[in-house]
Amino acid sequence: MSLQPVLESGKFVVTAEVGPLKGTDITEIEEVVPLLKGKVDAANVTDQQSSVMRLGSLAVSHLIKERGLDPIFQVTCRDRNRLALQSDLLSAWVLGIENVLAITGDVPSLGDHPQAKSVYDLDSVQLLWVIQRLNEGYDMMGNELKGKTNFFPGAVVNPGADTEPAFELQLIKMEKKINQGAKFFQTQAIYDVDAFAKFMKRVEGFNTPVLAGIIPLKSAGMARYMNKNVAGVFVPDELIKRMAEAEDKTQTGIEIAANLIKELKGMCPGVHIMAIGWEKKVPAILDAAGL
Amino acid sequence: MIGLAAKPIEEILEMLHGREKIVLVGCGGCAPFFHAGGEAEVKAMADTLSQNGKKILAAISPPFGEFTCYVPWIEERLKPYMKEIEECDAILVMACGTGLQIVREVMEDGYGLVKPIYPANDTIGNMGGGRVLFGDALFREKCEQCGQCVLGQFAGVCPLTQCAKGLLNGPCGGSKNGKCEQQPEHNCAWIMIYERLKKLGELDKMKEFVPPRDYSKMHRPRVLEVAPLDFND
Repeated sequence: MSLQPVLESGKFVVTAEVGPLKGTDITEIEEVVPLLKGKVDAANVTDQQSSVMRLGSLAVSHLIKERGLDPIFQVTCRDRNRLALQSDLLSAWVLGIENVLAITGDVPSLGDHPQAKSVYDLDSVQLLWVIQRLNEGYDMMGNELKGKTNFFPGAVVNPGADTEPAFELQLIKMEKKINQGAKFFQTQAIYDVDAFAKFMKRVEGFNTPVLAGIIPLKSAGMARYMNKNVAGVFVPDELIKRMAEAEDKTQTGIEIAANLIKELKGMCPGVHIMAIGWEKKVPAILDAAGL
Repeated sequence: MIGLAAKPIEEILEMLHGREKIVLVGCGGCAPFFHAGGEAEVKAMADTLSQNGKKILAAISPPFGEFTCYVPWIEERLKPYMKEIEECDAILVMACGTGLQIVREVMEDGYGLVKPIYPANDTIGNMGGGRVLFGDALFREKCEQCGQCVLGQFAGVCPLTQCAKGLLNGPCGGSKNGKCEQQPEHNCAWIMIYERLKKLGELDKMKEFVPPRDYSKMHRPRVLEVAPLDFND
């Protein structure tokens, strides 16, 4: 099922994330799906996240759908040219996948195949345009398709952009993405609720749902790592301190995430929980957040 | 100009293993800027190879300003040495990849000679710069030679080379303090473009959708035919 009716229903939407591993062993996925099914509205399946070679998002999106969890098929522009991207989108549709998240993707130098050729034949905005064309029944060259798609496309935006030009650019790009068909947005992890509120005020007029990203903290070290290495993520000192001083780090991490969700609930139509290897904790976070 | 990095001598000796009689060919175009093929470097290479047991039959050094990749010039420089080139076991070209291939073509087309030919340099990119900062002259890659220049749209900042992902509808999600998240030594090209368009009062340009690039303009090898220059004027 597409995310569209859920977003339109006014229910507070919760999406989670499933990150395929390196190999053909899908045990972990099979364990996580029953835990998330019925508790979240859909789950993103990442596309070779961090430029590390992994089992594909197309296959795993199909697998989780078969097991009753709606996928959001993430497609990056790093690895495939326009032919492969259009083809994979047609393939996804045929396998029953309806939600797509069009993203640019990290460069190969960050991952475990740094010598790989990066493609970026299209960027995320152009990919959204292409999805529109496929939905209309044409490929990007204007050739008529024998059978079209009806994707519900989404994109990402970074409310945590750290300088004024970077922030303004995020808004410019968000508008461009909406013009090319983006129907929903997910953000990078939010820890600063006030900054998020300011961002939401700026994008009010866009009338497009934004799901606030949540990354549950596992340790102070993880928070510091993200501050140093992950663009757009800023964990404030007080949370790092709380994690460092916590006796039960798991419980504290869950509490912080749940509190963030409670605070963000009034500002946006939903949240996107990126548990990064902690997918089994998502039900506990949702419980603590009263969802 | 074409940026060059001299290969380590160990790699060159490996390439020339078993080849005793060598002809050296330098370049007076871009190579001198990178200490990779000018007259001084050709002389130094001749000395180094001799010390390593090689016999230098000829060290051909076009003067500064003479591009080895320009056939009418290199032809004249090579002409007096065809006996040595015929006799040699290998030719080492101290130019870019284009210079080397032009030397090869001149020998093949003009004299029917096919000889082992090796590069002394790695060709790095289409670069500009040369300003001295902290002792070294800094050169940066600027142009991808895409064949469809739209620099006017981007306030003179090329997103293909200056953005790590070559985005036309940038930026991506990640810059940190104005630096590219993927290559932290580099400025985010899109912040550079934004700031310039803002100064020019042309921020509207950023809101325009840039359609996918035409890569057919980059299908190799590309060819240009132009009216010849007459240097005798």
